[in-house]
Amino acid sequence: MPTPKAAVFVVDDDTSVREALKGLLRSAGFAVETFASAQEFLACPPSDLPGCLVLDVGLPGLSGLDLQQRMAEINREIPIVFITGQGDVPTSVRAMKAGAVEFLTKPFGERDLLDAIRQAIDRDQVARRQRAELAELRRRYTSLTPREREVLAWVVSGLLNKQIAGEMGTREITVKVHRGQVMRKMRAASLADLVRMAERLRIRHAEP
Amino acid sequence: MPLGTTARLPLVSSGEGNSEMHGPRLLWRYNQPAIRNYAVAVVLTAVALGIARWLDVHLESAPVSLFLCAVMLSAWLGGVGPGLLAAALCAAAFSYYFVSPIFSLAVDSKEIPRFVMFLLASVLVGSLSVTQRRAMQALRKAEAALRETQAALAHVTRVMTMGELAASIAHEVNQPLAGVVINGNACLRWLAGESPNLPEAREAAQRIIRDGTRASEIISRIRALAKKTSALNERVDLNEAIREVLTLCQGEAVKHDVALRERLPGDLPSVRGDRVLIQQVVLNLVMNGIEAMRDPQDHARELVIGARAEAERVRVTVRDSGIGLDPQAMERIFDALYTTKPGGLGMGLSISRTIVENHGGRLSVVAHDGPGTTFEFTLPAYA
Repeated sequence: MPTPKAAVFVVDDDTSVREALKGLLRSAGFAVETFASAQEFLACPPSDLPGCLVLDVGLPGLSGLDLQQRMAEINREIPIVFITGQGDVPTSVRAMKAGAVEFLTKPFGERDLLDAIRQAIDRDQVARRQRAELAELRRRYTSLTPREREVLAWVVSGLLNKQIAGEMGTREITVKVHRGQVMRKMRAASLADLVRMAERLRIRHAEP
Repeated sequence: MPLGTTARLPLVSSGEGNSEMHGPRLLWRYNQPAIRNYAVAVVLTAVALGIARWLDVHLESAPVSLFLCAVMLSAWLGGVGPGLLAAALCAAAFSYYFVSPIFSLAVDSKEIPRFVMFLLASVLVGSLSVTQRRAMQALRKAEAALRETQAALAHVTRVMTMGELAASIAHEVNQPLAGVVINGNACLRWLAGESPNLPEAREAAQRIIRDGTRASEIISRIRALAKKTSALNERVDLNEAIREVLTLCQGEAVKHDVALRERLPGDLPSVRGDRVLIQQVVLNLVMNGIEAMRDPQDHARELVIGARAEAERVRVTVRDSGIGLDPQAMERIFDALYTTKPGGLGMGLSISRTIVENHGGRLSVVAHDGPGTTFEFTLPAYA
Protein backbone atom coordinates (compact mmCIF):
# COMPACT_ATOMS: atom_id res chain seq x y z
CA MET A 1 0.00 0.00 0.00
CA PRO A 2 1.33 3.46 -0.85
CA THR A 3 2.07 5.77 2.04
CA PRO A 4 -1.00 7.94 2.62
CA LYS A 5 -0.76 11.31 0.95
CA ALA A 6 -4.06 12.47 2.34
CA ALA A 7 -5.79 12.39 5.69
CA VAL A 8 -9.51 11.83 6.15
CA PHE A 9 -11.20 12.87 9.36
CA VAL A 10 -14.43 11.11 10.24
CA VAL A 11 -16.87 12.58 12.76
CA ASP A 12 -19.84 10.35 13.54
CA ASP A 13 -21.44 9.58 16.89
CA ASP A 14 -22.32 6.05 15.84
CA THR A 15 -19.60 3.51 16.57
CA SER A 16 -20.66 1.13 13.78
CA VAL A 17 -20.50 3.80 11.11
CA ARG A 18 -17.30 5.34 12.47
CA GLU A 19 -15.38 2.10 12.58
CA ALA A 20 -16.74 0.94 9.24
CA LEU A 21 -15.68 4.17 7.55
CA LYS A 22 -12.25 3.91 9.12
CA GLY A 23 -11.86 0.39 7.71
CA LEU A 24 -13.09 1.32 4.24
CA LEU A 25 -11.00 4.47 3.95
CA ARG A 26 -7.89 2.68 5.18
CA SER A 27 -8.47 0.00 2.55
CA ALA A 28 -8.60 2.80 -0.02
CA GLY A 29 -5.21 4.01 1.18
CA PHE A 30 -6.11 7.05 3.27
CA ALA A 31 -4.83 7.92 6.69
CA VAL A 32 -7.96 8.06 8.85
CA GLU A 33 -8.74 9.68 12.15
CA THR A 34 -12.14 9.25 13.79
CA PHE A 35 -14.02 11.41 16.28
CA ALA A 36 -17.28 10.76 18.10
CA SER A 37 -18.28 14.42 18.40
CA ALA A 38 -17.76 17.84 16.86
CA GLN A 39 -16.06 19.07 20.03
CA GLU A 40 -13.55 16.22 19.88
CA PHE A 41 -12.67 17.16 16.32
CA LEU A 42 -12.29 20.85 17.13
CA ALA A 43 -9.93 19.97 19.95
CA CYS A 44 -7.59 18.20 17.54
CA PRO A 45 -4.91 20.34 15.81
CA PRO A 46 -5.19 20.75 12.02
CA SER A 47 -3.22 18.31 9.89
CA ASP A 48 -0.33 19.11 7.52
CA LEU A 49 -1.55 16.61 4.94
CA PRO A 50 -4.20 17.60 2.44
CA GLY A 51 -7.44 16.01 3.45
CA CYS A 52 -11.14 16.27 4.05
CA LEU A 53 -13.77 15.86 6.71
CA VAL A 54 -16.46 13.19 6.54
CA LEU A 55 -19.12 14.63 8.81
CA ASP A 56 -22.35 13.21 10.16
CA VAL A 57 -25.17 15.76 10.15
CA GLY A 58 -27.06 14.47 13.19
CA LEU A 59 -24.43 14.76 15.89
CA PRO A 60 -25.58 15.23 19.48
CA GLY A 61 -24.63 18.60 20.94
CA LEU A 62 -22.91 20.53 18.18
CA SER A 63 -24.49 19.24 14.95
CA GLY A 64 -22.63 18.71 11.69
CA LEU A 65 -24.02 21.92 10.24
CA ASP A 66 -23.05 23.82 13.41
CA LEU A 67 -19.53 22.46 13.10
CA GLN A 68 -19.36 23.57 9.46
CA GLN A 69 -20.37 27.08 10.51
CA ARG A 70 -17.96 27.12 13.46
CA MET A 71 -15.06 26.09 11.23
CA ALA A 72 -15.87 28.89 8.81
CA GLU A 73 -15.87 31.33 11.73
CA ILE A 74 -12.45 30.23 12.95
CA ASN A 75 -11.06 30.06 9.38
CA ARG A 76 -10.30 26.39 9.61
CA GLU A 77 -10.64 25.41 6.00
CA ILE A 78 -11.24 21.79 5.17
CA PRO A 79 -13.62 20.44 2.52
CA ILE A 80 -16.58 18.60 4.01
CA VAL A 81 -18.42 15.51 2.79
CA PHE A 82 -21.66 15.22 4.75
CA ILE A 83 -23.22 11.90 5.57
CA THR A 84 -26.64 11.56 7.11
CA GLY A 85 -29.13 8.94 8.16
CA GLN A 86 -32.13 11.20 7.73
CA GLY A 87 -31.45 13.28 4.65
CA ASP A 88 -33.91 16.06 4.02
CA VAL A 89 -33.76 18.64 1.28
CA PRO A 90 -33.49 21.84 3.38
CA THR A 91 -30.57 20.45 5.36
CA SER A 92 -28.70 19.32 2.27
CA VAL A 93 -29.31 22.67 0.57
CA ARG A 94 -27.98 24.51 3.60
CA ALA A 95 -24.91 22.29 3.74
CA MET A 96 -24.14 22.61 0.04
CA LYS A 97 -24.66 26.38 0.09
CA ALA A 98 -22.17 26.61 2.92
CA GLY A 99 -19.62 24.93 0.68
CA ALA A 100 -19.94 21.19 1.28
CA VAL A 101 -18.48 18.93 -1.40
CA GLU A 102 -21.16 16.28 -1.23
CA PHE A 103 -24.18 15.25 0.82
CA LEU A 104 -24.63 11.47 1.07
CA THR A 105 -27.51 9.58 2.65
CA LYS A 106 -26.75 6.40 4.59
CA PRO A 107 -26.36 3.73 3.48
CA PHE A 108 -24.37 5.07 0.54
CA GLY A 109 -22.34 3.25 -2.11
CA GLU A 110 -18.60 3.13 -1.63
CA ARG A 111 -17.98 4.70 -5.05
CA ASP A 112 -20.10 7.72 -4.19
CA LEU A 113 -18.22 8.17 -0.96
CA LEU A 114 -14.73 7.60 -2.36
CA ASP A 115 -15.42 9.86 -5.37
CA ALA A 116 -16.64 12.59 -3.05
CA ILE A 117 -13.62 12.17 -0.80
CA ARG A 118 -11.17 12.31 -3.73
CA GLN A 119 -12.91 15.38 -5.05
CA ALA A 120 -12.75 16.95 -1.60
CA ILE A 121 -9.06 16.15 -1.27
CA ASP A 122 -8.35 17.62 -4.72
CA ARG A 123 -10.18 20.71 -3.64
CA ASP A 124 -8.13 20.85 -0.47
CA GLN A 125 -4.90 20.46 -2.45
CA VAL A 126 -5.86 23.33 -4.72
CA ALA A 127 -6.88 25.42 -1.74
CA ARG A 128 -3.65 24.63 0.07
CA ARG A 129 -1.62 25.58 -3.02
CA GLN A 130 -3.53 28.83 -3.33
CA ARG A 131 -3.07 29.56 0.33
CA ALA A 132 0.66 28.86 0.02
CA GLU A 133 0.88 31.17 -3.01
CA LEU A 134 -1.01 33.87 -1.22
CA ALA A 135 1.26 33.51 1.80
CA GLU A 136 4.28 33.86 -0.52
CA LEU A 137 2.78 36.96 -2.13
CA ARG A 138 2.12 38.45 1.28
CA ARG A 139 5.71 37.71 2.27
CA ARG A 140 6.92 39.50 -0.87
CA TYR A 141 4.57 42.40 -0.26
CA THR A 142 5.78 42.86 3.32
CA SER A 143 9.35 43.12 1.97
CA LEU A 144 8.35 46.34 0.15
CA THR A 145 9.11 49.70 1.75
CA PRO A 146 6.13 51.99 2.48
CA ARG A 147 7.16 54.18 -0.44
CA GLU A 148 7.30 51.17 -2.81
CA ARG A 149 3.86 50.03 -1.62
CA GLU A 150 2.51 53.49 -2.44
CA VAL A 151 4.02 53.27 -5.93
CA LEU A 152 2.55 49.76 -6.35
CA ALA A 153 -0.92 51.02 -5.52
CA TRP A 154 -0.63 53.86 -8.06
CA VAL A 155 0.85 51.57 -10.73
CA VAL A 156 -1.95 49.01 -10.52
CA SER A 157 -4.45 51.86 -10.69
CA GLY A 158 -3.19 52.44 -14.22
CA LEU A 159 -1.28 55.72 -13.69
CA LEU A 160 1.79 56.57 -15.73
CA ASN A 161 5.12 57.21 -14.01
CA LYS A 162 4.76 60.94 -14.69
CA GLN A 163 1.29 61.04 -13.13
CA ILE A 164 2.51 59.04 -10.11
CA ALA A 165 5.37 61.47 -9.65
CA GLY A 166 2.83 64.28 -9.70
CA GLU A 167 0.61 62.54 -7.13
CA MET A 168 3.52 61.72 -4.86
CA GLY A 169 5.26 65.08 -5.30
CA THR A 170 8.51 63.54 -6.49
CA ARG A 171 10.55 63.21 -9.64
CA GLU A 172 9.67 60.73 -12.40
CA ILE A 173 13.10 59.07 -12.18
CA THR A 174 12.55 58.27 -8.50
CA VAL A 175 9.20 56.66 -9.33
CA LYS A 176 10.91 54.63 -12.04
CA VAL A 177 13.47 53.30 -9.54
CA HIS A 178 10.76 52.41 -7.01
CA ARG A 179 8.73 50.72 -9.71
CA GLY A 180 11.74 48.60 -10.75
CA GLN A 181 12.21 47.55 -7.10
CA VAL A 182 8.52 46.63 -6.80
CA MET A 183 8.67 44.47 -9.96
CA ARG A 184 11.83 42.74 -8.70
CA LYS A 185 10.70 42.18 -5.11
CA MET A 186 7.24 40.97 -6.16
CA ARG A 187 8.86 38.84 -8.87
CA ALA A 188 6.34 40.13 -11.37
CA ALA A 189 7.15 39.32 -15.00
CA SER A 190 4.92 42.05 -16.42
CA LEU A 191 2.56 44.80 -15.41
CA ALA A 192 -0.38 42.45 -15.99
CA ASP A 193 1.24 39.96 -13.63
CA LEU A 194 1.64 42.65 -10.98
CA VAL A 195 -2.01 43.68 -11.34
CA ARG A 196 -3.10 40.05 -10.81
CA MET A 197 -0.94 39.82 -7.70
CA ALA A 198 -2.37 43.04 -6.34
CA GLU A 199 -5.87 41.69 -6.93
CA ARG A 200 -5.06 38.54 -5.02
CA LEU A 201 -3.62 40.62 -2.20
CA ARG A 202 -6.74 42.77 -2.36
CA ILE A 203 -4.67 45.96 -2.60
CA ARG A 204 -7.11 48.77 -3.11
CA HIS A 205 -6.49 50.92 -6.11
CA ALA A 206 -5.39 54.38 -5.09
CA GLU A 207 -7.77 57.13 -6.15
CA PRO A 208 -6.06 60.03 -7.85
CA MET B 1 -58.83 -8.92 43.72
CA PRO B 2 -60.93 -7.13 46.29
CA LEU B 3 -64.23 -6.64 44.57
CA GLY B 4 -65.89 -3.30 44.56
CA THR B 5 -62.82 -1.43 45.76
CA THR B 6 -60.84 -1.12 42.58
CA ALA B 7 -62.01 0.80 39.61
CA ARG B 8 -58.75 0.21 37.74
CA LEU B 9 -58.19 -3.32 36.65
CA PRO B 10 -55.16 -5.22 35.50
CA LEU B 11 -54.23 -4.61 31.91
CA VAL B 12 -53.86 -8.23 31.04
CA SER B 13 -56.35 -10.25 29.16
CA SER B 14 -55.77 -13.50 31.01
CA GLY B 15 -57.15 -13.41 34.51
CA GLU B 16 -54.48 -15.76 35.83
CA GLY B 17 -51.68 -14.56 37.97
CA ASN B 18 -53.24 -11.32 39.14
CA SER B 19 -54.98 -12.42 42.24
CA GLU B 20 -51.74 -12.90 44.15
CA MET B 21 -50.96 -9.28 43.61
CA HIS B 22 -54.40 -7.88 44.12
CA GLY B 23 -55.76 -9.80 47.07
CA PRO B 24 -56.62 -13.34 48.16
CA ARG B 25 -57.87 -15.76 45.56
CA LEU B 26 -61.66 -15.99 45.53
CA LEU B 27 -63.23 -18.90 47.34
CA TRP B 28 -65.74 -19.54 44.63
CA ARG B 29 -64.91 -20.54 41.13
CA TYR B 30 -67.21 -20.21 38.21
CA ASN B 31 -67.63 -22.33 35.12
CA GLN B 32 -66.66 -25.56 36.84
CA PRO B 33 -67.70 -28.64 34.88
CA ALA B 34 -71.37 -29.35 35.60
CA ILE B 35 -70.74 -32.83 36.99
CA ARG B 36 -68.46 -31.36 39.61
CA ASN B 37 -71.11 -28.88 40.68
CA TYR B 38 -73.62 -31.71 41.18
CA ALA B 39 -71.06 -33.73 43.11
CA VAL B 40 -70.40 -30.72 45.31
CA ALA B 41 -74.15 -30.47 45.97
CA VAL B 42 -74.24 -34.12 47.02
CA VAL B 43 -71.17 -33.77 49.23
CA LEU B 44 -72.47 -30.60 50.88
CA THR B 45 -75.79 -32.27 51.61
CA ALA B 46 -73.98 -35.29 53.03
CA VAL B 47 -71.82 -33.08 55.24
CA ALA B 48 -74.86 -31.15 56.44
CA LEU B 49 -76.61 -34.41 57.17
CA GLY B 50 -73.59 -35.83 58.98
CA ILE B 51 -73.25 -32.82 61.23
CA ALA B 52 -76.98 -32.60 61.86
CA ARG B 53 -77.14 -36.29 62.75
CA TRP B 54 -74.17 -36.04 65.06
CA LEU B 55 -75.69 -33.06 66.83
CA ASP B 56 -79.06 -34.82 66.93
CA VAL B 57 -77.59 -37.94 68.56
CA HIS B 58 -75.21 -36.22 70.97
CA LEU B 59 -76.95 -32.97 71.81
CA GLU B 60 -80.54 -33.95 71.08
CA SER B 61 -81.09 -30.87 68.95
CA ALA B 62 -81.30 -30.98 65.18
CA PRO B 63 -80.20 -27.74 63.52
CA VAL B 64 -82.04 -28.17 60.22
CA SER B 65 -80.75 -24.81 59.05
CA LEU B 66 -77.58 -26.72 58.17
CA PHE B 67 -79.52 -28.16 55.23
CA LEU B 68 -80.45 -24.68 54.15
CA CYS B 69 -76.76 -23.79 54.20
CA ALA B 70 -76.04 -26.77 51.98
CA VAL B 71 -78.72 -25.68 49.51
CA MET B 72 -77.49 -22.12 49.55
CA LEU B 73 -73.88 -23.08 48.91
CA SER B 74 -74.80 -25.61 46.22
CA ALA B 75 -76.88 -23.03 44.36
CA TRP B 76 -74.15 -20.43 44.82
CA LEU B 77 -71.40 -22.66 43.54
CA GLY B 78 -73.29 -24.62 40.91
CA GLY B 79 -76.37 -22.66 39.89
CA VAL B 80 -79.96 -23.83 39.46
CA GLY B 81 -79.41 -27.55 38.81
CA PRO B 82 -77.13 -28.36 41.73
CA GLY B 83 -79.26 -26.09 43.91
CA LEU B 84 -82.39 -28.08 43.09
CA LEU B 85 -80.54 -31.36 43.55
CA ALA B 86 -79.30 -30.25 46.97
CA ALA B 87 -82.82 -29.09 47.89
CA ALA B 88 -84.29 -32.46 46.88
CA LEU B 89 -81.60 -34.43 48.70
CA CYS B 90 -81.94 -32.27 51.78
CA ALA B 91 -85.72 -32.64 51.72
CA ALA B 92 -85.30 -36.40 51.51
CA ALA B 93 -82.72 -36.48 54.29
CA PHE B 94 -84.81 -34.14 56.42
CA SER B 95 -87.88 -36.25 55.97
CA TYR B 96 -85.95 -39.50 56.55
CA TYR B 97 -84.06 -38.55 59.69
CA PHE B 98 -85.79 -35.63 61.32
CA VAL B 99 -89.47 -35.83 60.51
CA SER B 100 -91.60 -38.48 62.18
CA PRO B 101 -91.86 -41.23 61.38
CA ILE B 102 -88.06 -41.34 61.67
CA PHE B 103 -86.15 -43.54 59.21
CA SER B 104 -88.89 -43.23 56.65
CA LEU B 105 -89.50 -40.91 53.78
CA ALA B 106 -93.13 -40.66 54.78
CA VAL B 107 -94.31 -37.55 56.62
CA ASP B 108 -96.83 -37.49 59.47
CA SER B 109 -99.80 -35.25 58.84
CA LYS B 110 -98.95 -33.08 61.88
CA GLU B 111 -95.43 -32.62 60.57
CA ILE B 112 -96.59 -31.48 57.14
CA PRO B 113 -96.46 -27.70 57.91
CA ARG B 114 -92.90 -28.03 59.24
CA PHE B 115 -91.87 -30.00 56.21
CA VAL B 116 -93.51 -27.54 53.82
CA MET B 117 -91.84 -24.65 55.63
CA PHE B 118 -88.55 -26.41 55.18
CA LEU B 119 -89.20 -26.90 51.47
CA LEU B 120 -90.22 -23.28 50.99
CA ALA B 121 -87.23 -22.04 52.92
CA SER B 122 -84.81 -24.15 50.93
CA VAL B 123 -86.32 -23.06 47.59
CA LEU B 124 -86.20 -19.42 48.69
CA VAL B 125 -82.60 -19.65 49.90
CA GLY B 126 -81.63 -21.52 46.73
CA SER B 127 -83.20 -19.00 44.38
CA LEU B 128 -81.69 -16.05 46.25
CA SER B 129 -78.37 -17.75 45.97
CA VAL B 130 -78.81 -18.31 42.23
CA THR B 131 -79.76 -14.67 41.69
CA GLN B 132 -76.71 -13.55 43.59
CA ARG B 133 -74.58 -15.94 41.58
CA ARG B 134 -75.88 -14.53 38.30
CA ALA B 135 -75.19 -10.98 39.42
CA MET B 136 -71.65 -11.96 40.34
CA GLN B 137 -71.16 -13.64 36.99
CA ALA B 138 -72.37 -10.57 35.13
CA LEU B 139 -70.05 -8.35 37.18
CA ARG B 140 -67.16 -10.63 36.50
CA LYS B 141 -67.87 -10.68 32.80
CA ALA B 142 -68.00 -6.89 32.77
CA GLU B 143 -64.69 -6.77 34.60
CA ALA B 144 -63.11 -9.14 32.11
CA ALA B 145 -64.43 -7.05 29.23
CA LEU B 146 -63.09 -3.88 30.85
CA ARG B 147 -59.71 -5.54 31.35
CA GLU B 148 -59.59 -6.57 27.74
CA THR B 149 -60.58 -3.11 26.57
CA GLN B 150 -57.90 -1.52 28.71
CA ALA B 151 -55.30 -3.98 27.46
CA ALA B 152 -56.29 -3.20 23.89
CA LEU B 153 -56.17 0.52 24.58
CA ALA B 154 -52.72 0.24 26.15
CA HIS B 155 -51.57 -1.71 23.12
CA VAL B 156 -52.99 0.81 20.70
CA THR B 157 -51.44 3.79 22.47
CA ARG B 158 -48.12 1.95 22.67
CA VAL B 159 -48.15 1.22 18.98
CA MET B 160 -49.17 4.81 18.28
CA THR B 161 -46.27 6.14 20.31
CA MET B 162 -43.98 3.85 18.39
CA GLY B 163 -45.53 5.20 15.21
CA GLU B 164 -44.42 8.68 16.26
CA LEU B 165 -40.98 7.21 16.82
CA ALA B 166 -40.91 5.38 13.50
CA ALA B 167 -38.55 7.75 11.71
CA SER B 168 -36.10 7.78 14.60
CA ILE B 169 -36.24 4.03 15.01
CA ALA B 170 -35.65 3.58 11.28
CA HIS B 171 -32.58 5.78 11.69
CA GLU B 172 -31.45 3.65 14.61
CA VAL B 173 -31.66 0.50 12.47
CA ASN B 174 -30.17 2.25 9.47
CA GLN B 175 -26.93 3.09 11.28
CA PRO B 176 -25.69 -0.47 11.78
CA LEU B 177 -26.96 -1.35 8.31
CA ALA B 178 -24.87 1.47 6.86
CA GLY B 179 -21.99 -0.02 8.84
CA VAL B 180 -22.64 -3.44 7.30
CA VAL B 181 -22.59 -2.05 3.76
CA ILE B 182 -19.42 -0.03 4.32
CA ASN B 183 -17.65 -2.91 6.04
CA GLY B 184 -18.69 -5.24 3.21
CA ASN B 185 -17.09 -2.89 0.72
CA ALA B 186 -13.95 -2.60 2.83
CA CYS B 187 -13.77 -6.38 3.19
CA LEU B 188 -13.91 -6.84 -0.60
CA ARG B 189 -11.21 -4.23 -1.05
CA TRP B 190 -8.90 -5.95 1.42
CA LEU B 191 -9.48 -9.24 -0.40
CA ALA B 192 -8.91 -7.83 -3.89
CA GLY B 193 -5.59 -7.50 -5.67
CA GLU B 194 -2.42 -9.53 -5.83
CA SER B 195 -1.82 -9.84 -2.12
CA PRO B 196 -5.07 -9.78 -0.17
CA ASN B 197 -4.86 -8.46 3.37
CA LEU B 198 -6.59 -11.27 5.23
CA PRO B 199 -6.34 -9.97 8.82
CA GLU B 200 -7.96 -6.68 7.78
CA ALA B 201 -10.62 -8.50 5.77
CA ARG B 202 -11.35 -10.70 8.78
CA GLU B 203 -11.77 -7.67 11.01
CA ALA B 204 -14.16 -6.09 8.54
CA ALA B 205 -16.18 -9.33 8.44
CA GLN B 206 -16.31 -9.37 12.23
CA ARG B 207 -17.62 -5.83 12.24
CA ILE B 208 -20.29 -6.91 9.76
CA ILE B 209 -21.42 -9.62 12.15
CA ARG B 210 -21.43 -7.23 15.10
CA ASP B 211 -23.43 -4.57 13.26
CA GLY B 212 -25.87 -7.08 11.83
CA THR B 213 -26.48 -8.42 15.33
CA ARG B 214 -26.99 -4.90 16.61
CA ALA B 215 -29.59 -4.16 13.94
CA SER B 216 -31.49 -7.34 14.70
CA GLU B 217 -31.41 -6.58 18.45
CA ILE B 218 -33.02 -3.23 17.84
CA ILE B 219 -35.68 -4.88 15.72
CA SER B 220 -36.44 -7.52 18.33
CA ARG B 221 -36.81 -4.75 20.95
CA ILE B 222 -39.32 -3.01 18.76
CA ARG B 223 -41.13 -6.26 18.18
CA ALA B 224 -41.27 -6.91 21.91
CA LEU B 225 -42.78 -3.48 22.49
CA ALA B 226 -45.35 -3.98 19.73
CA LYS B 227 -46.39 -7.32 21.22
CA LYS B 228 -49.73 -7.53 22.98
CA THR B 229 -48.54 -8.16 26.52
CA SER B 230 -47.28 -10.78 28.93
CA ALA B 231 -47.70 -11.11 32.68
CA LEU B 232 -47.75 -8.63 35.54
CA ASN B 233 -45.65 -10.84 37.70
CA GLU B 234 -42.32 -11.29 36.02
CA ARG B 235 -39.06 -10.08 37.43
CA VAL B 236 -37.98 -7.01 35.46
CA ASP B 237 -34.47 -5.59 35.38
CA LEU B 238 -35.48 -1.96 35.45
CA ASN B 239 -32.08 -0.58 34.37
CA GLU B 240 -32.06 -2.76 31.29
CA ALA B 241 -35.70 -2.03 30.48
CA ILE B 242 -35.11 1.72 30.75
CA ARG B 243 -31.91 1.60 28.69
CA GLU B 244 -33.70 -0.25 25.90
CA VAL B 245 -36.31 2.49 25.75
CA LEU B 246 -33.60 5.17 25.76
CA THR B 247 -31.89 3.45 22.82
CA LEU B 248 -35.11 3.64 20.86
CA CYS B 249 -35.57 7.29 21.80
CA GLN B 250 -31.98 8.31 21.09
CA GLY B 251 -32.65 9.27 17.48
CA GLU B 252 -35.70 11.29 18.45
CA ALA B 253 -33.65 13.09 21.10
CA VAL B 254 -30.88 13.97 18.65
CA LYS B 255 -33.48 15.19 16.18
CA HIS B 256 -34.80 17.62 18.78
CA ASP B 257 -31.34 18.44 20.07
CA VAL B 258 -32.08 16.95 23.47
CA ALA B 259 -29.41 15.31 25.60
CA LEU B 260 -30.67 12.10 27.22
CA ARG B 261 -28.98 11.44 30.55
CA GLU B 262 -29.44 8.39 32.70
CA ARG B 263 -28.78 8.23 36.41
CA LEU B 264 -29.37 4.56 37.04
CA PRO B 265 -27.57 2.99 40.00
CA GLY B 266 -25.96 -0.34 39.12
CA ASP B 267 -27.38 -2.06 42.20
CA LEU B 268 -30.99 -1.12 41.50
CA PRO B 269 -33.24 -3.97 42.67
CA SER B 270 -35.43 -5.68 40.09
CA VAL B 271 -39.11 -4.84 40.10
CA ARG B 272 -42.21 -6.95 39.77
CA GLY B 273 -44.43 -6.42 36.80
CA ASP B 274 -44.94 -6.57 33.07
CA ARG B 275 -41.78 -5.52 31.28
CA VAL B 276 -43.53 -4.24 28.17
CA LEU B 277 -46.04 -2.18 30.12
CA ILE B 278 -43.31 -0.67 32.29
CA GLN B 279 -41.38 0.22 29.16
CA GLN B 280 -44.53 1.77 27.77
CA VAL B 281 -44.72 4.09 30.79
CA VAL B 282 -41.04 5.04 30.44
CA LEU B 283 -41.38 5.54 26.68
CA ASN B 284 -44.41 7.73 27.20
CA LEU B 285 -42.72 9.92 29.82
CA VAL B 286 -39.52 10.26 27.76
CA MET B 287 -41.45 11.16 24.60
CA ASN B 288 -43.52 13.70 26.56
CA GLY B 289 -40.31 15.20 27.95
CA ILE B 290 -38.72 15.53 24.52
CA GLU B 291 -41.96 17.01 23.21
CA ALA B 292 -42.00 19.57 26.03
CA MET B 293 -38.64 20.89 24.84
CA ARG B 294 -39.54 21.32 21.18
CA ASP B 295 -39.85 25.12 21.43
CA PRO B 296 -36.65 27.15 21.30
CA GLN B 297 -35.30 27.80 24.76
CA ASP B 298 -32.24 29.47 26.15
CA HIS B 299 -31.24 26.78 28.65
CA ALA B 300 -29.89 23.32 27.83
CA ARG B 301 -32.37 20.77 26.53
CA GLU B 302 -31.84 17.91 28.85
CA LEU B 303 -33.89 14.90 29.82
CA VAL B 304 -32.68 13.09 32.92
CA ILE B 305 -34.04 9.70 33.83
CA GLY B 306 -33.07 8.45 37.25
CA ALA B 307 -34.01 5.63 39.57
CA ARG B 308 -33.43 4.85 43.22
CA ALA B 309 -34.30 2.06 45.56
CA GLU B 310 -36.63 2.76 48.48
CA ALA B 311 -38.03 0.40 51.08
CA GLU B 312 -39.60 -2.44 49.09
CA ARG B 313 -40.03 -0.32 46.00
CA VAL B 314 -38.16 1.54 43.29
CA ARG B 315 -38.76 5.16 42.32
CA VAL B 316 -38.15 6.29 38.76
CA THR B 317 -37.97 9.99 37.89
CA VAL B 318 -38.08 11.58 34.44
CA ARG B 319 -37.14 15.28 34.42
CA ASP B 320 -37.17 17.55 31.39
CA SER B 321 -36.11 21.17 31.07
CA GLY B 322 -38.97 22.16 28.82
CA ILE B 323 -41.88 24.55 29.01
CA GLY B 324 -43.28 23.10 32.23
CA LEU B 325 -46.91 22.83 33.22
CA ASP B 326 -49.27 25.46 34.52
CA PRO B 327 -51.16 24.53 37.71
CA GLN B 328 -54.40 24.11 35.81
CA ALA B 329 -52.84 21.59 33.45
CA MET B 330 -51.12 19.87 36.36
CA GLU B 331 -54.50 18.88 37.80
CA ARG B 332 -55.82 17.48 34.58
CA ILE B 333 -52.91 15.85 32.79
CA PHE B 334 -53.80 12.39 34.01
CA ASP B 335 -57.38 12.66 32.76
CA ALA B 336 -58.21 10.67 29.68
CA LEU B 337 -58.50 12.73 26.50
CA TYR B 338 -56.81 15.76 28.09
CA THR B 339 -53.83 16.95 26.10
CA THR B 340 -51.62 20.04 25.82
CA LYS B 341 -50.01 18.86 22.60
CA PRO B 342 -51.26 19.77 19.17
CA GLY B 343 -52.34 16.51 17.60
CA GLY B 344 -52.09 14.65 20.91
CA LEU B 345 -54.70 12.09 21.80
CA GLY B 346 -54.57 12.61 25.56
CA MET B 347 -54.33 8.93 26.37
CA GLY B 348 -50.65 8.48 27.18
CA LEU B 349 -50.52 9.68 30.77
CA SER B 350 -53.93 8.30 31.62
CA ILE B 351 -52.88 4.85 30.42
CA SER B 352 -49.50 5.20 32.10
CA ARG B 353 -51.10 5.98 35.44
CA THR B 354 -53.45 3.01 35.11
CA ILE B 355 -50.50 0.75 34.29
CA VAL B 356 -48.48 1.95 37.27
CA GLU B 357 -51.40 1.65 39.67
CA ASN B 358 -52.15 -1.85 38.47
CA HIS B 359 -48.59 -2.69 39.36
CA GLY B 360 -49.28 -1.41 42.87
CA GLY B 361 -47.36 1.83 42.36
CA ARG B 362 -48.08 5.51 41.86
CA LEU B 363 -47.40 7.89 38.98
CA SER B 364 -47.31 11.57 39.80
CA VAL B 365 -46.06 14.89 38.56
CA VAL B 366 -43.81 16.84 40.88
CA ALA B 367 -43.71 20.61 40.99
CA HIS B 368 -40.22 22.04 41.14
CA ASP B 369 -38.33 25.28 40.82
CA GLY B 370 -36.80 26.22 37.52
CA PRO B 371 -37.93 25.19 34.08
CA GLY B 372 -39.34 21.85 33.12
CA THR B 373 -41.42 19.13 34.66
CA THR B 374 -40.63 16.01 36.65
CA PHE B 375 -42.70 12.88 36.53
CA GLU B 376 -42.06 10.05 38.93
CA PHE B 377 -43.48 6.64 39.50
CA THR B 378 -42.92 3.80 41.91
CA LEU B 379 -42.98 0.07 41.35
CA PRO B 380 -42.84 -2.74 43.90
CA ALA B 381 -39.37 -4.28 44.23
CA TYR B 382 -39.13 -7.94 43.37
CA ALA B 383 -38.66 -9.51 46.80
